[in-house]
Amino acid sequence: MPRIIFVHPDGRRQEVEAGLGKSVMETALDQGVEGIIAECNGSAACATCHAYFDESSLDLLPPISEHEEDMLDFAASQRLQGSRLSCQITVTDAMEGMCIQLPESQ
Amino acid sequence: MGNRMPVCTQLVQSGRYGKLMAIAVPTQDGISLDALYEDPFPIFRQMSEKSPVTWVPSTNLNLVTGFEEIMEIERNSSIYTSTNPTSLMNQVLGRSLMRKDGEPHALERKAIEPSFRPGVVKNHWSPIFAAIADQLITGFEKDGSTDLFQNFAAPMASLSLIEMLGFKDVAWQDIACWSQSLMDAMSNYGGSGDARQRGRDASAAIDAAIDAVVPIYQITPNPSIISSMLHAESAQSIEQIRSNVKVIIGGGLNEPRDSILTATYGLLSNPQQQAKAIESGALWGAVFEEAIRWVAPICMYPRRVDSDVVLGGVQLREGDQLGVCVAAANRDPSRFEQPDEFNIFRKKQSHLGFGAGPHFCAGTWVARQMVGAIAVPQLFARLKDLRLDEDKKAKFGGWVFRGPLNLPVQWTV
Repeated sequence: MPRIIFVHPDGRRQEVEAGLGKSVMETALDQGVEGIIAECNGSAACATCHAYFDESSLDLLPPISEHEEDMLDFAASQRLQGSRLSCQITVTDAMEGMCIQLPESQ
Repeated sequence: MGNRMPVCTQLVQSGRYGKLMAIAVPTQDGISLDALYEDPFPIFRQMSEKSPVTWVPSTNLNLVTGFEEIMEIERNSSIYTSTNPTSLMNQVLGRSLMRKDGEPHALERKAIEPSFRPGVVKNHWSPIFAAIADQLITGFEKDGSTDLFQNFAAPMASLSLIEMLGFKDVAWQDIACWSQSLMDAMSNYGGSGDARQRGRDASAAIDAAIDAVVPIYQITPNPSIISSMLHAESAQSIEQIRSNVKVIIGGGLNEPRDSILTATYGLLSNPQQQAKAIESGALWGAVFEEAIRWVAPICMYPRRVDSDVVLGGVQLREGDQLGVCVAAANRDPSRFEQPDEFNIFRKKQSHLGFGAGPHFCAGTWVARQMVGAIAVPQLFARLKDLRLDEDKKAKFGGWVFRGPLNLPVQWTV
């Protein structure tokens, strides 16, 4: 199972084992990673699972749908180049060692 | 989360209630529907101090009152289902997305999404909402007093809903009446023939209003909900369109109306917060979120247990009917400090005013704009020294849906 590192706003790094086929959001909730709330549990309706993915790894991720695109603009923390809704990202082997930065607020 | 243990889905120790084994659902006798309608919060508190799930005979439901337990329910829709063969809602509305799970729910939800996206709300709907609010306030601005229920919140929510659905030539009083008739028919557990008939009449009137605009949007799409359904990737049948429009009318009118009133009442009852909100201009979002945490417009909704499961240390059985009391969870003292107080400055915490999980309120971003960014701030901006009417008291009612039943106010002309 790939290891993913969630980086908290204070710089703390939290390494977790991620289940293949689950979403990054589900992985965070399963492993008790604070900072991912996911009020709508993966429906891409609440923008409370916002996370910053490393810009160099964006090619590994599925493309952003029109709906996610719109939702990201309204996330509580600023949208940046690597912004994604983590509920829309499925864990793959290619994510081994990937760092995901958590935003200040959701 | 204080001393609270994670919710259990298996037979394991449940810390909060100090039980080593799952207990049977405790019964709370002596609670009348009238008492719940009057003020459910002390009753919820009393029950939740003993157990996160309580059987209340008068409601015929197992009421779930704990925040974590409700999150657990909404994260597991295969165990806690929205489908219900005996649902009155299905009989009145047809089978809407509100009573579906999984893929069938997701496809119908996706069909309406384009009308509800935050960007569409901000760019397309907000100017329309602002014009409605402006016109309504202009109508009574010189009077010095009014009842904000009848003269502002009800028409504000109704006119906005007419625009969003894409209806033409429908009066706000009509859609308000349809909404109430559908809600009465859906909660007609006593089987009144009158309520059933009014529900049927409203249903027929809504079908006619839909039929009148379908040909227009088939040719000329726009951001309206009916247009979005007609042009959805997954083709929507006329039956799907009809029942989902009805669920939006039956359930999408009272929430913005009641949250406008609750937010306004909350500020008017707390002059310091009112002054800070007006002075800052940046707190209106917090005012809205606190209002729907404090008094969630939808207090309770149903779920059905699909297989034996332990929730918060309580043994539930297949077929058990649950009443998910989000209004109680929003005042769960293990999550919110001094939960009974309206406080726009409380620590930012997610609440359950919009529900959670796949059925998370589709109208969230509409409500944030309509209520939080437009209707409430415009009232305070336009009506000088807005205050509660000392002679006529505002009154709240309801435990399934809850909000002010009137809101008499005065201001300086």
